[in-house]
Amino acid sequence: MAVAVEHPLDKYVRTEKLPTLWCPGCTIGIVMTSLLRAIDQRIREGLLRRDQITFVGGIGCSARIAMYVRFDSVRTAHGRTIPLATAIKILRPEHKVIVVGGDGDICAIGGNHLLHALRRNMDLMIIIVNNMIYGMTGGQVSPTTPLKLYTTTTPYGNPEKPLNIIRLACSLGANFVARGSATHPHILQQIFYKALGKRGLALIEVLSSCPEIFGRHIGITDPVKSFMTLRDKIKVKNNPSLDESEYDWEKGFVIGVYLDKDDPGYIDNLSLLYKSLRGF
Amino acid sequence: MRIEIILSGRGGQGILMLGRILGKTLARYTSYYVAGSETYATEVRGGDSRVDIIISDNEDEIGYVRARNADIAVFMYPSLMKNLSRYIKRKAKVFIDTTFIDIDSLREYDWTIISEPYTQISERIFGTSRVANMMILGHLIKETKIVDPEAVERVIREEMPSKWHDINIRSFRYMIDRK
Amino acid sequence: MRIDYISGNRAIAEAAIASGLKFFAGYPITPSSDIFEYLAEELPRRGGYVIQFEDELASIYAVIGASWTCSKAMTATSGPGFSLMVEGISIAVMTETPLVIAYIMRAGPATGVPTKTGQYDVFQAEYGFHGGLPIPVFAPSNPQEAYDLTIKAFNTSEILRTPVVLLSDASIANMFGKVLIREAGEIEIIDRRSIEILRKKGCEWSLDDVYEMKCVGDGYDIYVETLTHDEKNIYRPTTDVQRRLMWRLYRKIINNREVLFEYSFHNYGNKRCRNMIITYGSTFSSVSEAVRELNKNEEDFCVFKLKTLYPINEKIFYEKTRDVDKIFVVENNVGLYVKEIRSILRDKDVISISVIDLEYPDPDEIVERVREWL
Ligand SMILES: Cc1ncc(C[n+]2csc(CCOP(=O)(O)OP(=O)(O)O)c2C)c(N)n1
Repeated sequence: MAVAVEHPLDKYVRTEKLPTLWCPGCTIGIVMTSLLRAIDQRIREGLLRRDQITFVGGIGCSARIAMYVRFDSVRTAHGRTIPLATAIKILRPEHKVIVVGGDGDICAIGGNHLLHALRRNMDLMIIIVNNMIYGMTGGQVSPTTPLKLYTTTTPYGNPEKPLNIIRLACSLGANFVARGSATHPHILQQIFYKALGKRGLALIEVLSSCPEIFGRHIGITDPVKSFMTLRDKIKVKNNPSLDESEYDWEKGFVIGVYLDKDDPGYIDNLSLLYKSLRGF
Repeated sequence: MRIEIILSGRGGQGILMLGRILGKTLARYTSYYVAGSETYATEVRGGDSRVDIIISDNEDEIGYVRARNADIAVFMYPSLMKNLSRYIKRKAKVFIDTTFIDIDSLREYDWTIISEPYTQISERIFGTSRVANMMILGHLIKETKIVDPEAVERVIREEMPSKWHDINIRSFRYMIDRK
Repeated sequence: MRIDYISGNRAIAEAAIASGLKFFAGYPITPSSDIFEYLAEELPRRGGYVIQFEDELASIYAVIGASWTCSKAMTATSGPGFSLMVEGISIAVMTETPLVIAYIMRAGPATGVPTKTGQYDVFQAEYGFHGGLPIPVFAPSNPQEAYDLTIKAFNTSEILRTPVVLLSDASIANMFGKVLIREAGEIEIIDRRSIEILRKKGCEWSLDDVYEMKCVGDGYDIYVETLTHDEKNIYRPTTDVQRRLMWRLYRKIINNREVLFEYSFHNYGNKRCRNMIITYGSTFSSVSEAVRELNKNEEDFCVFKLKTLYPINEKIFYEKTRDVDKIFVVENNVGLYVKEIRSILRDKDVISISVIDLEYPDPDEIVERVREWL
């Protein structure tokens, strides 16, 4: 009889929902694990309460993180996580509200919500798992797909320049903007750890390798090769400048914390206004 | 018994406020059923506005919230007068602000006309045209006796910010107290 | 308790406050905006929140999010905005999220006449989202009903854990009436947290298909699933689970038809009701005048006014129409809801009188059109 060995993070996982739907070699699991480690660290340090964490996930492979973690988790339609999370944060300001989704979910269909959450410096932690493709629906182009790349809906090559999420977030007033990579889980965990302590909006773009779908398009479907291909493109920098955020598959990607400030967030502004009104 | 009232003017003249004060007085301080409707062009400032108020002692009689045979009407501005005249009874009591409406233009209507240059008087006595509506309301109540003036004063106090009580009540009383 | 003279929109806002509204999210659209504006003034002072979002998509999802903190939440909109919200309503149906949408109809299609009325969207309110599970729709015809039905809408959404539409229109938005305003404490207000108590105590509602709702912040374990799920909230893509889920969600509403179906019957002193007019919403105003005219000729007209458009209690329809010769359905559209009525009263002569009018339909036109059939 096989002996089930308990993983130290099992207590944060809805194990009854396993196995995950992620393909073999998918790196979303690494992102989830890094995040859970960061959360665990904060809980153990007494800086975060487990019953004050809410996950909000939309639709897509990456969004499923919200389905597998054992915290309060709310799932909703494709692209509509941010407004839903915003309302939860307003009514449960003591909660750390974490939005997880893919590049399509948050930047394409949910792009308008992202824009306004950034503008509001809304007190959310937004994690965009960027696999540069629509994974769940089988390999269509996304706003972060590299220029000229073949996808199933751009069979002659992608004519669009991809979105630099970091530049967008930095220009609109978020408090914390960082890029991580699933290929560098320790750094990712540190970034998550920091982000969990922020007020205002903390946005983390996480590059991830997707051997099954994206890999097929670039001709590298072997999980290890796919992972190493992305890893070779990553440069780690301590405090990278905005210019170094350039998003280009050919030239590679700089990961690190691009912006870290401590402006009042939306919730601070709101409660200040309401305090004078209500007297409490 | 069904009493119908039409009030009409131009945005900014206070026709909606006139209607609401009258409606609230009827609702709160009489046992009548009262209903009504407001029509105005929300997009345009200074557009035409029209208020209908229906009063009855029988609930089934106030279902239709438009006047078809008005007993009382107020025109503070001429633009809707021709259009609405078909909904006004012969001999109905019609209050006309002659500041904006030429009295000669009324000859074609078989109405009991009560007219004053309300807006001018309001400017002269109270230094603003903005309380002409309350002056008309006072006149309307003096001539028709549909509600107790005391009740109207109470509603003005209940509905308006306190700094406006005095001038509105004085203008409301102006036509009532005039000999 | 107080008496006031207020508009239909104001009545909705007042009733929402009395029902314990805690969160309003919206995007401005005529003729619903004054609900939003009045609440923006009032609610924050009473501890609630009123937020303008970037669009109606965001608004409906914010309302869903708010509801998952066990706060009463609503939005208000009109046709173009409701069209953007329908995806979210479907999510709310599946996740059994209590919320109220005040849908103030205006003339359409497209942007139509923003300030003017119509009853074109009755089916959209009932069925206009994917999944084929209709939701409760209440349709007031004057400010007092707007007040009472808003309270009913909140109670229904809470106890049955469902989105509810309060379907009004541009005419009622600006219709005024004497309204009896009752404060919290003077009305029965249901809260989703009392479902279990009501179930044990016994009540008029059928609660067999409703589960208790746990919210964000109640512990760390709530899970809201938009995929087909079993009773334990686990995604199960099987026909068996799909059937169980669909029928439960359907029954949850329809089995409460007796509590949900509201109407009023007016026979204007006639002994018999030979001719019946069925109507709803602001068109009732014109119909009530038309009937005064029609009854002058001893035609014995009565009016059956519907205040609930879904679910319907068929039994009441059969009872009320048993001795009726002719039935006229008067509505301000091309003749929509009449189809629903025909599907119930299959052996009756049901005549559609559709009067498309940007204002209150002219009572004379209704009289004329009805007389063609006498
Ligand atoms: C309104 C709507 N449109 C389309 C879809 C289908 N859909 C599901 S996931 C998805 C895209 C997923 O891509 P991404 O967000 O990048 O996440 P990934 O699966 O790559 O992690 C799409 C288009 C949907 N569920 N809802």
